[in-house]
Amino acid sequence: MNKTFIKSLWEENPVFRQVLGICSTLAVTNLLANTLFMCFGVTFVTALSSFTISLLRDYIPKRTRMIVQVIIISCFVMMVDILIKALAPDIHRFIGPYVGLIITNCIIMGRAEAFASQNKPLASLIDGFGSGIGYSMILIVIACIREPLGFGTLFGYALPFKELWWHQWTIMVMPPGAFFMLALVTWIARAYTIKPVKK
Amino acid sequence: MKKNSTTYTLSFMAVICIAFGSGIAIVNYSTQSLLLENEKMHRNRILCNAFLLDVSGQTSRAYQESVDATITFDSLIIDTRTIPVYFNAKDSSIGFVFSGFGFWDLITGIMVLTPDLSTIKNIRFFEQKETPGLGARIEEKWFTDQFKGLRINWNAPVTERVIIGASSDPDATNRVDAISGASQTSLALMKTINSELELFRKADRSEGQRSDYHL
Repeated sequence: MNKTFIKSLWEENPVFRQVLGICSTLAVTNLLANTLFMCFGVTFVTALSSFTISLLRDYIPKRTRMIVQVIIISCFVMMVDILIKALAPDIHRFIGPYVGLIITNCIIMGRAEAFASQNKPLASLIDGFGSGIGYSMILIVIACIREPLGFGTLFGYALPFKELWWHQWTIMVMPPGAFFMLALVTWIARAYTIKPVKK
Repeated sequence: MKKNSTTYTLSFMAVICIAFGSGIAIVNYSTQSLLLENEKMHRNRILCNAFLLDVSGQTSRAYQESVDATITFDSLIIDTRTIPVYFNAKDSSIGFVFSGFGFWDLITGIMVLTPDLSTIKNIRFFEQKETPGLGARIEEKWFTDQFKGLRINWNAPVTERVIIGASSDPDATNRVDAISGASQTSLALMKTINSELELFRKADRSEGQRSDYHL
């Protein structure tokens, strides 16, 4: 179980190893609060949809396999959307469109197809949860760099003595800033995970 | 029943749809009152901020009480548009709801004017989806504060009664600074504000209730 979790968290990290879920990584990481809600949404949906798909794997007809997976995923996404709208309406006003797009997040379909449809429910739940946490980890790191550089705040709180030294780095609040940060984080993370190939 | 048969497939799909559809319906039903409450609180909070009302706390009830005590609602109809209008009983200021396209999506807000419609008292936004950190800065205090006391130049062409950004007249009293890095949002907002002001004035005149415009 631990191995499954660690594998999906780091060795097969969806963002920097599999390069999945990039759209939302670029879109929501300019503010840490928005990022956390997006991470909650993706982790919740990945874990529960993997669990449900695994639970039903012996009953799902082969030819409608992917349609069933999409129905299950979209139902969980709609639940998350309603919950965020009810509990954090101000954040939902910004990340609302991206929450809906979790349905098309390749991480979730990828884990459902590659793992959940062939493994037991508990292992699938852990795999989905690990993938969600792995995704969240990278997004949080990127948000912790982008928000201070772009807004001069962290989690909405102003940086110390901001007015004395801080100057807005506009590109950090826009998607291109996320491209640069994602590339940097991926580079550093891969340098530590990929073993050099001996020639 | 064979797992690959059409009957099994159709029955399975029907069961899945009913089961998961019911799940969504339950979550939606159980949060419905909260969603309505959030929507109401958001509207009342914006109204309180726009009309600069005193609010005792930051609860939904506090905002509601403040609005109920001071604000009355009406609507003006012109052509096919209905313009929601709010009146402040204390200082007779008028707030009308405007909407128009920004750079990315629809911007909806409220503009509060003096009773003679000559001066803007305040501006606030109900909804906007501009770029965070750039266009979305239209909601920031430094930007909205510029509109307080801004004179509307009703004698100017429709598109230049309120100017956001550069103006040929350096002493223009109807001008506010644009947002650097968000010139498209600033231009779109200026276009929206000016066209909505014109529409509101037309609707207000056709109602014939107030004709003491200070032009």
